[in-house]
Amino acid sequence: MIRSQARSSGSGAGAAGNAAPAPPRGNRPAAGSGRTEVRVAAALPWLGPALVLIAAVVFYPAAELVRASMSDYSITGLLKGSAGLSNYAKVLAHPDLGTVLVNTVVWVVAVLVLSLVISLGLAQLLSKEFFGRKVVRWAVIIPWAASLVITARLFTLLLDYNYGIVNRFLIAVGILDTPIDFLGDDRWTMPSMIAVGVFVTLPFTTYVLLAGLKAIPGDVYEAARVDGASPRQAYTRITLPLLRPALLVASVLNIIYVFNSFPIVYTLNDRNPGFAHDTTITFMYKLAFKSADKSVGMSAAAGVANVLLILVVILVYLRVSRWKDATE
Amino acid sequence: MLKRLIATTAVAALALTACSGGTGAGTAGGSGGGGEPVKKIKLVAAEYSKDNTAAFWNKFAAAYKAKTGIDLDVQVVSWDDIDQQSSTMIQNNAAPDILNLNAYASYAKDSLLYSSDEVLSDSVKSDLLPNFVQSGTYQGKMYGMPDLSSARALFYNKDLFAKAGIAAPPKTWDEFTADAKKITALGDGTVGYAMPLGPEEAQAEFSIWMFNNGGNWKTDDKWTINSPQNVDTLTFLKNLSVTDKVTQNNPGKTDRTDGAFPLFQSGRAGMVVGFSPLAATLDKDAKVQYATAPMPTKAGGAPATYGVTDYLMAFKKPGNQDAVKAFYDLYYSPDQVNTFIKAEGFLPVTESGVKQFSSDPKLKTYLDTLTGAKLTPTDDPNWDRVKLAVQQNIGAAVAPNGDPKAVLDKLQAQAESGG
Repeated sequence: MIRSQARSSGSGAGAAGNAAPAPPRGNRPAAGSGRTEVRVAAALPWLGPALVLIAAVVFYPAAELVRASMSDYSITGLLKGSAGLSNYAKVLAHPDLGTVLVNTVVWVVAVLVLSLVISLGLAQLLSKEFFGRKVVRWAVIIPWAASLVITARLFTLLLDYNYGIVNRFLIAVGILDTPIDFLGDDRWTMPSMIAVGVFVTLPFTTYVLLAGLKAIPGDVYEAARVDGASPRQAYTRITLPLLRPALLVASVLNIIYVFNSFPIVYTLNDRNPGFAHDTTITFMYKLAFKSADKSVGMSAAAGVANVLLILVVILVYLRVSRWKDATE
Repeated sequence: MLKRLIATTAVAALALTACSGGTGAGTAGGSGGGGEPVKKIKLVAAEYSKDNTAAFWNKFAAAYKAKTGIDLDVQVVSWDDIDQQSSTMIQNNAAPDILNLNAYASYAKDSLLYSSDEVLSDSVKSDLLPNFVQSGTYQGKMYGMPDLSSARALFYNKDLFAKAGIAAPPKTWDEFTADAKKITALGDGTVGYAMPLGPEEAQAEFSIWMFNNGGNWKTDDKWTINSPQNVDTLTFLKNLSVTDKVTQNNPGKTDRTDGAFPLFQSGRAGMVVGFSPLAATLDKDAKVQYATAPMPTKAGGAPATYGVTDYLMAFKKPGNQDAVKAFYDLYYSPDQVNTFIKAEGFLPVTESGVKQFSSDPKLKTYLDTLTGAKLTPTDDPNWDRVKLAVQQNIGAAVAPNGDPKAVLDKLQAQAESGG
């Protein structure tokens, strides 16, 4: 069930395909009334399957989610009747909501910024010709190919206090005297989760930026060099501005994936009681199954709030970054 | 582009939120009793072990079909998933006929279940151990039929005890602390006691200590979570970790199966509270020389044993009453129930089972105490929430800045307000 999260977070490839440039505006049908009707009728058979699919996978679950959020469920899952907006009120009044929201902001911003910065460097490296580039490119893809749950589980073993190889290594080379409880110490839990989050976000981000770099024509650099631009100037005045569309695509999609990322936060944090390191997504899950609330209705209400939250964040982001100017 | 993005966002966000939200449809639970007799019933069973659970139930299904002519559809689900799966089934009005779970009272409260009067033969019911009948009884009627049981005991590492110069397992808490200190003093990362108070099963770890200080979750039908004995017990556990430093790092964030048990299995922990499946693993590894003993008590009185049982509950659905009754008749026949329990390494739930198992010397420690074992208040529907609250909160009490009394007060308030 909730495991599908793993797939949805991991399916960067599919969604990236969606991010193809919009068709030019000039192709819009003329505003003639009669012709438009004919066109719509003629288009329906072609649009039909897609519309049915959208209705089935977007609108139906959305409607069900909203309905569930306004229903009263017993702890067993039995529907007891309507709850009005009381589930929303209970979620808003939840004592841990503040912690969870702060965690979510820290998690999304840190993973997004760190992975963009590192990916810029990696993409630059991978765009150069060098011996073994193919191998390195494959190596960068691997964290992306592995299931997030497996990656996260692997990191719980690597970072373990008693047996983890990371602690052993740090002690062996003399950096540490005593092991660090990366996943249990409250100061280290979030940084550890962010490190793993960056690790799995890098491949997708790097490849989007790499594609962006490849799209910058070489003669622009040549012209700059002729005009006497230093490498630094060429980077800040040419590369970064021309990368803007790619950076925007990468950051918008990453905001969505990172925000929705369930497996890493859940798996790395699963021995810790309470909500001290949860994001809104794992909060929603725990409300339904792990916390004493154990309420499907509250969880659904939190789910609706999640959707609204991410929509607002994305819209604001697009507004602020003047998305239209960059992509058209 | 923008619209597409929004759609993508919505899909991505909804795909997962929707699942957890569930697609509740209709109120579950038929009236039960009436209707055409069914030709097929469904069992959703928890997976105790990869090797044995599915194998047993598939064989059982064949025997059931041969005896009754009714098909038994078996679905084995891991413990990690069974709560959410059963909840989803009931939301979708698709409850199984038989569900195997560690709780039943909330289902009984929602009037979803058959009582033993309806589906259990008298001979079967009279064979069940009385303390399990009691824990399966909600408001005067039995709804939770025990499938198997386990009892906890203190496991200790004989090699480490010998090295530390300890002759016999501790009988009192003072002895326990002293022994744990001696073992910890051996150094090299050795810990005296591996204490799992993390979310996986904190209520079990706390229960066993609580019972051996004369405390309980409920006394005379009233919640007594924050009784003076219980505050004393939790403070003792906190001190073991914080001031005596004889436990592993961060006991409030250590689970049993991936934390405390591995420490004991690798020979790094002197003591741990375990049960028969842990013994089976230790025997198989043959790495750690161990023995079991009754739990030490605060003042050295008679030790209390903590027992656990899981349940097989039957959902009221039209026409399934006879089929369900036949299911129980077959399950509780000694050939079936005891074969299952033996294969899984647990303890019996019937008088005849105790007799049959008593020939095994390894199980003697447990069997002697099984009939007097104390259980958590699974007969109270509020416990189903209190248990979750305990799992998610009690770990905080044993942290260096933890406050045992405050944590227990909060749990008490939660229990009194209906979970």
